[in-house]
Amino acid sequence: MAKKTYDLLFKLLLIGDSGVGKTCILFRFSDDAFTTTFISTIGIDFKIKTVELRGKKIKLQIWDTAGQERFHTITTSYYRGAMGIMLVYDISNEKSFENIVKWLRNIDEHANQDVEKMILGNKCDMDDKRTVSKERGEAIAREHGIRFMETSAKANINIERAFNELAEAILDKTAGRESGDHIDRVMVDRRQQASTSRSCCNN
Amino acid sequence: MAYKARLREFDNILNKDIIDLEDLKKLAFTGIPDDQGKRAICWRLLLNYLPTEKSSWSTYLKTKRDLYRQFIDEMIVTPGAKEVDGDVEDHPLSMNPDSEWQTFFKDNEVLLQIDKDVRRLCPDISFFQQPTEFPCSVVVNSMDVKRLHRRVERRVLKSANVERKGMGMTKIALSFKKANEDYAPMDEGQEAHWEVVERILFLYAKLNPGQSYVQGMNEILGPIYYTFASDPDATYREWAEADSFFCFTNLMSEIRDFFIKTLDETQCGINSMMTRMLVQLKNSDLDVWLRFQQLELRPQYYSFRWITLLLSQEFPLPDVLRIWDSLFSDEKRFNFLIYICCAMIVILRNQLLNGDFPLNLKLLQNFPPMDVQIILSKAVELSKKGF
Repeated sequence: MAKKTYDLLFKLLLIGDSGVGKTCILFRFSDDAFTTTFISTIGIDFKIKTVELRGKKIKLQIWDTAGQERFHTITTSYYRGAMGIMLVYDISNEKSFENIVKWLRNIDEHANQDVEKMILGNKCDMDDKRTVSKERGEAIAREHGIRFMETSAKANINIERAFNELAEAILDKTAGRESGDHIDRVMVDRRQQASTSRSCCNN
Repeated sequence: MAYKARLREFDNILNKDIIDLEDLKKLAFTGIPDDQGKRAICWRLLLNYLPTEKSSWSTYLKTKRDLYRQFIDEMIVTPGAKEVDGDVEDHPLSMNPDSEWQTFFKDNEVLLQIDKDVRRLCPDISFFQQPTEFPCSVVVNSMDVKRLHRRVERRVLKSANVERKGMGMTKIALSFKKANEDYAPMDEGQEAHWEVVERILFLYAKLNPGQSYVQGMNEILGPIYYTFASDPDATYREWAEADSFFCFTNLMSEIRDFFIKTLDETQCGINSMMTRMLVQLKNSDLDVWLRFQQLELRPQYYSFRWITLLLSQEFPLPDVLRIWDSLFSDEKRFNFLIYICCAMIVILRNQLLNGDFPLNLKLLQNFPPMDVQIILSKAVELSKKGF
């Protein structure tokens, strides 16, 4: 287990109202499966998936959070370390869409300034129950300068694409930083970090 | 044989005119037999619902159950009745804070959250999707009007369904689709167990506006209701709803601080429980504690859920029931919970000492299946070391 299996580690966070399908999105992405039998997330949950982008193995550490207000103190403590955040709403639930603004404010308050964001309108397979048009989703994303996609964990629409795009955006940023004069130092730092944690494992 | 002897021991305690709660706690701490509705009756006692004098039980239970019925009438049945009367003072757009309609809409926000959660309660067993033998008749025979989930059902008007027929006649067909087929509501005259649970939580939220409903409360009520509603004694089973409500209320009075954000930092709040657990871990297994420090594996990431839900999401239901026997018998509730949490970690020590952050967190958040007795014995062992 000590062998280093990835080049970069990205920490991602899923937030949004309760019941919009955060856990299902993550489950589809990590296990490529869908189930309606999920219990509600209490506190914070956690999954890992390694993807390959531009020849780099990227380990995604994804945190799934509880939607209800009560858990915000627990979950916002993790905003700080996140490099990418997915804001999820449910296209058949108006309120969850209206609350996107609230979630964005939360990010402003608790996350790093340069965190990559993406808005997901989930459950897009349920077109007969849609109350939030795609245009409105696009509009709010444009207004805040954020990426947007409609997804369905159930029908497996855009799930992988969403995670890949978010990861790629983070990679762009990392690469952008590396292209400056710190290029080598940054890379070495990362390797060192990874190797320290490796030697710990052998204790 | 040993099992029969054990049942007899319970009978000896429960058959007395005045039940010795201390004796019962001692015995129940090591597990209550699944048979003969023993658990249901013991939990009623351990959760301070039933008084210890047996002679007072029938009057006491009747009073409580009548009271519960009254709650249903006042908070679920009557508000809608006004609407039928055509009250002119009050209307859906009323801005009056005393308006029943205002209350109705505010309640629905809470109800919406409850509704989402009760439909995903214990999905691995079919129990909650089954019809109850004892539905609440005013609710199930109301042409669906009094069913709580009807109030928060999302409906969409489809323009495509508007048909024009000849002489300016317009026919509009509405289509309602049920959201979650597995947890589909029952026909008139019937209701599923999850609907009963929804009603209990709604009444609790109405009666305790300071807490209202917080996600996870369903996981606390679930095992209690399951135990009462599967009591082989029909004279008790019939009242599972009312009795669960009061036992749940009593239990919540002890653990509600875990659910209240503003109390997080107080002595009985969740943070202090997690700190206590961490201190106990340090005393029980310094190596693991150090490893967690090194990895910055904070207790919020795993033990928040363990403690808030009294471990109900970590184990299969039968194991949860067994664990709760001990928790409810704990002289100093919920000290033993801390020991169980520590035991769960200590038992996995070899894996945890070798794992990195993600591996360890995955392990702790998805506790591997094992005989719950191993965990409980370890917890007792840790508690006897008496740190």
